[in-house]
Amino acid sequence: MGLNILFRKVFFIISLLLTVFICMSASSPGLAKEEEEEDQRLEREISIAFEYPEIIISKGDDITVDIHVKNKGKRDENIYFTISSIPSGWKAKIKTYSFSIMALNISGGDDKNVQFSAEPEKDTNPGSYEFKVDAKTADGQLSSSHTLKITMLEKKKEKGEIELTTSYPVLRGSNDAKFEFSLDVKNKTDKEDTFNLIADAPKNWRVNFKPSYEDKYISSLRLKDNESKSINVVVTPDRFSNAGEFIIPVAVSAGESKAEGNLKVIITGTYTIDAGTPTGLLSLETQQGKTGNISIYVKNNGSAMINGVEFLSIKPENWKVEFDPEKIDKLETGEIKQVEVNITPSQDALVGDYAVGLNVKSERASDDLEMRVTVNASAAWAWIGIGIIILVIIGLFGLFISLGRR
Amino acid sequence: MTGVGTIVRKELEDHFSSYRFVILFALITMVSLITTYMVGISLRDELGGIAKPKFIFLMLFTSTGPLFSLVQFVAFFGPLIGLVLGFDSINRERSNGTLSKLASQPIYRDAIVNGKFLAGVVTIIIMMSSILLVVSGLGLALIGVVPGIEEVWRIFIYLIISVFYISFWLGISILFSIVFRSIATSALATLALWIFFSFFISMGASVVANTFVPINQTSRENPEAVMKHAKIQRAVSLISPMQLYNDSTSIIIDPTRKTTRSLILMGPIEQFSLKRFSRPLNLLQSITVVIPHIITLIAITFICFAISYIVFMKQEIRSI
Repeated sequence: MGLNILFRKVFFIISLLLTVFICMSASSPGLAKEEEEEDQRLEREISIAFEYPEIIISKGDDITVDIHVKNKGKRDENIYFTISSIPSGWKAKIKTYSFSIMALNISGGDDKNVQFSAEPEKDTNPGSYEFKVDAKTADGQLSSSHTLKITMLEKKKEKGEIELTTSYPVLRGSNDAKFEFSLDVKNKTDKEDTFNLIADAPKNWRVNFKPSYEDKYISSLRLKDNESKSINVVVTPDRFSNAGEFIIPVAVSAGESKAEGNLKVIITGTYTIDAGTPTGLLSLETQQGKTGNISIYVKNNGSAMINGVEFLSIKPENWKVEFDPEKIDKLETGEIKQVEVNITPSQDALVGDYAVGLNVKSERASDDLEMRVTVNASAAWAWIGIGIIILVIIGLFGLFISLGRR
Repeated sequence: MTGVGTIVRKELEDHFSSYRFVILFALITMVSLITTYMVGISLRDELGGIAKPKFIFLMLFTSTGPLFSLVQFVAFFGPLIGLVLGFDSINRERSNGTLSKLASQPIYRDAIVNGKFLAGVVTIIIMMSSILLVVSGLGLALIGVVPGIEEVWRIFIYLIISVFYISFWLGISILFSIVFRSIATSALATLALWIFFSFFISMGASVVANTFVPINQTSRENPEAVMKHAKIQRAVSLISPMQLYNDSTSIIIDPTRKTTRSLILMGPIEQFSLKRFSRPLNLLQSITVVIPHIITLIAITFICFAISYIVFMKQEIRSI
């Protein structure tokens, strides 16, 4: 029952479609006749039109705009172009991809594009300019014209053309460290260009640009449109620079456009401590068990204050090395302090030269001195011995006199 | 001091003409020369191609070579010279009956003992300096190194110490020749004393040290016990003049030696610290280190002579 109904519906649709098709094929000759009548009315007809009749550009930019050329008639036409109105300070021409043209052949009913290009002279001021292009057929019977309006604006959006960003604009460290900033340069213009990298460093500082993960210094960078690249800025401060904040302006420029940024380096100062003796003499003579004294100086040669200077010694066992003062709490930059070192060799040290190491140590800096301690034998015994010998000789002469039987 | 000069001259004549002295002198000189020659040859071989080390010339005296060094040889057999020179000096005169004749001459009585001692000392000086000069000359020829001024001084001081050392034994032998009437007894006595000081003191020292601080398997590990042992041993052996002489000359003749102790307790840092500048001692320091030894040696020599002087002066000599 259901199948029967479906069959009947499909048959109905097919028959309907057939009817429509037959009707259409019967009426089509009549429509074609009407079109031919219209063609005959417009034997020849041309038109030209700018693709974008009104354009806004910024100063110094040149433009290229397509002109639509249409031959609406039945005949082929040679169409001659003239630019009838060129504002002063501009140069304009009509061209195709590779050369300037004066005329265009276009077949009936066809349309083609040619290009209009205009170039301002350098001193052309911003303002509104109108270009008029006339098109004529070879016999001059048909013509068409169209006007292009250019509004030239002052340059404004240059800054936005390059973008310079950094994640860590402030770095800190001592003046013997190297600082590496990471910069992202983004080319927001719509053309590929070479960008110069410029940095302004304080005196005796060095600033170098290098690509990330590559070990070479660069001074320019090529970027495609809307491409972004990461570069490293390596800042080497002056070895002798004092602690403080230093601003390093960096800039990326290409032609007229430029992006700037500031990098900041905070120098925390270096910690260098020097120890020595005023005369430069690092030797000391003493005797077994007797204290020898030497003065050493401790100088802060860094650019920051040093706290908590302590003294250590590397000495033979059973020796005593004492420092006076035992500790220096504060040592300003460039400050010199004198320390007395008392070295006592052990009672049964051998006669000869010993090495005693002195170490001046603070949390961040240290210096070593190596002393030569000459242990001399005590001369006291020598005098006692000579005394004994003299006594013996006197005794002998006493014997000579008392027992000599003279 | 009238008569001393005459006695000295006569004694020297006797010494240099006596066969036993000539034989002894020849023997000692020969051994010294052979020793030095061997040392010189081995030194020349060892030092070939090495940049000049310091105090090569002194190594001629100290390096042992195949047998023993010259210093050791003099320490051991030097006393024999002194003993041979003196063991019969007085009692031979006495047994020959010439002592009373001598005493009746117009000379003071003490001139006899003084003259005999001085003659012995002069002989020793001549002998030692000639040996040292010959050895030095041989060394110059063998190794071709000229000694520096400090080396010359060290050799000179070594000569003085050696003269005093041998003179001590001369004094001992003169004392024995005064005390013992028989020549054989005094000869044996001096020889016995020499053997005792040369051989038995060192053995006795280790026996004494072992009694006080026994060194066995367990105490060997203990450095303090070992040190104490060495200290006692050294103290005992210092009784011997030979030990005194050995200690003082080894320091004087070898500038790199810094102590007379054979055993030194030293921590690792001290060791390192000492090695950092291993500079030889200067002469003054070397002398200062061993001045007690030198002084003792000189003092016992004088005392020994003084005793023989007293004994001789108090003795009755005319009766025989």
